[in-house]
Amino acid sequence: MPSNARAATVFVAVVALLIALPFVGGDYYIYLFALVFINVILAASLRPSLTCGQLNIGHSAFMCIGAYTSALLAKNLGVPFEVSLLCGALLAAVVGLAIGYPSLRLRGVYFAMVTVAFVEAIRLIASIWVPLTRGNAGLSVPKPSLLGMSLATRTSQYYLALVLMLIVLVILYKLERSRLGLVWKSIGMAENLAQSLGVDIANHKLLAFTLGCFFAGVAGAFYAHFIRFLFPPEFGFLLATNILVYNFVGGRGHFAGPVVGAVFLSLLSEPFRGSPYETIFFSIVMLLTILFLPGGLITLPGKLAGLRRWRPTSGTYAPPASA
Amino acid sequence: MTAALLVQSAVIGLSIGSIYILMALGLTLMFGMMHIINFAHGAVYMLGAFAIYYVYFQWGAPYFAAFVLAMLLLGAFGYLVERSIYRPIKGGVEPTLVALLALTTLLQAAGYPVFGTLDKHVPPVFSGTRNVLGVMISVERLMIIPIAGALVVGLYLFINKTRMGAAMRAIEQDKEAAALQGVNVNVINGLAFAVGFALAAAAGALMAPIFKLDPMMGEQPLLKAFIIIILGGLGSIPGAILGGLILGLIDSIVATALGAEPAFLLSFVFIILLLLWRPTGLFGHAL
Repeated sequence: MPSNARAATVFVAVVALLIALPFVGGDYYIYLFALVFINVILAASLRPSLTCGQLNIGHSAFMCIGAYTSALLAKNLGVPFEVSLLCGALLAAVVGLAIGYPSLRLRGVYFAMVTVAFVEAIRLIASIWVPLTRGNAGLSVPKPSLLGMSLATRTSQYYLALVLMLIVLVILYKLERSRLGLVWKSIGMAENLAQSLGVDIANHKLLAFTLGCFFAGVAGAFYAHFIRFLFPPEFGFLLATNILVYNFVGGRGHFAGPVVGAVFLSLLSEPFRGSPYETIFFSIVMLLTILFLPGGLITLPGKLAGLRRWRPTSGTYAPPASA
Repeated sequence: MTAALLVQSAVIGLSIGSIYILMALGLTLMFGMMHIINFAHGAVYMLGAFAIYYVYFQWGAPYFAAFVLAMLLLGAFGYLVERSIYRPIKGGVEPTLVALLALTTLLQAAGYPVFGTLDKHVPPVFSGTRNVLGVMISVERLMIIPIAGALVVGLYLFINKTRMGAAMRAIEQDKEAAALQGVNVNVINGLAFAVGFALAAAAGALMAPIFKLDPMMGEQPLLKAFIIIILGGLGSIPGAILGGLILGLIDSIVATALGAEPAFLLSFVFIILLLLWRPTGLFGHAL
């Protein structure tokens, strides 16, 4: 299909540019883009659960679990990075399973509220379990390593982040295009109908949710060894909301949506990262997107093309007047 | 734990519980009618407290005037939110929830440049202590109970005895049928937003002289209110009142014995266990 071929070309071109970035950009850009890659993993890993119609406002909790698990294993037991990363992701998935099992039997809003409370619970545990996590004094973390080699330079860490992001994106893309992805979509679109056709709703939702938790754990583990300092309040409700915002601003109708949203918002908010203005910016963009561009940024090119070929009677999408 | 300490935590739990009830009532009312959860409720609580800080403390207005003004202003803000966010999205639950989340983070973050980054304090409104069952309790905390109680009774009368309240109950039962009977659904939804916001503002205004004020102060009461309405069942007003009392008592007694953080963790674990046993809460109707 031509559109698929075009998407593949764009993908290859972007990856080539990202591989070339350290040769042209300075340390600042390397650092910035590695952070963007983490946000992309977080945003994309929320997508399966959103596709099933579950509003998860607690994704940062699983990132937090991945980050602390990996950091503590590496710091206290000297576990190599590739193992600690996997352990962090697995623990995030196991906790996700334990929380998801009771709450995913519930519909939308109950689930959303449980996840909000869960973020707070995890943040509190990280803050008050001082002997283990050092609480709000913060935890320093060793540098990442790979196969025994320490990845001390920012450039090597950048490539590690790039590779992790690409692996996660490919896995999630393959899943979305598989039969499983179709089932998830059917649950999100018409839960009762899917159930009547014999889809095991609860288990499919649980799988989507747990998988998302696993990849959030991956992002958290890398984040821990990249930033090298963990501070519980950073994993609060605000970060969880941001991950959700990436998905909605980017657009939920296409796999590229969360990726576009994460890249766009992370880069544009860079001048005021860490200040209240970052959140103000995110919130305003979110409100404007929901009110005026409900399909998200990925629908923008189509809308613009539609405007150019504008005819008085129809746009790119015209709902029947009687609907 | 001595008996005196137990009585003291019980009375304080009752006053904290009254605040939680005010928060939870608005949430459950709005959920019953529109099937949305107002995430901005905590931010409205915060604005209610800051309204007291400016109008009562800085500008010297009488406390009750400031209290009523906070409720009116934030009630009007609630109506505006219905008009400009809820209504244009036309009932899509997920986008509405995310828009309300964005409104929450916007109000919280904007609080820092607007109100300043230093914690604010409001001086006590009611001074002195009173003997309750042999324990001295500050009048400040005691006064919360009758004021919140009056608001709850007022809400009950409003919903059950007025035409607008009947319209709200009609929408809760069946929105289309209510519209066919001539209920202006948009206006009544806006009214529910206004009532919910005004109650959250009242909760914040009552707590202003007791806790320190900062833009994130609404997060804890919001989470408590979530736990209450999950406990009592979404959409159930008696459930919200009972849930608020239970959580207020647990909170105060466990917090006195173990500390505030373990109390929150315990209530969270309690909720997860409750959901395993009864997925719709104690009084909730099937979803």
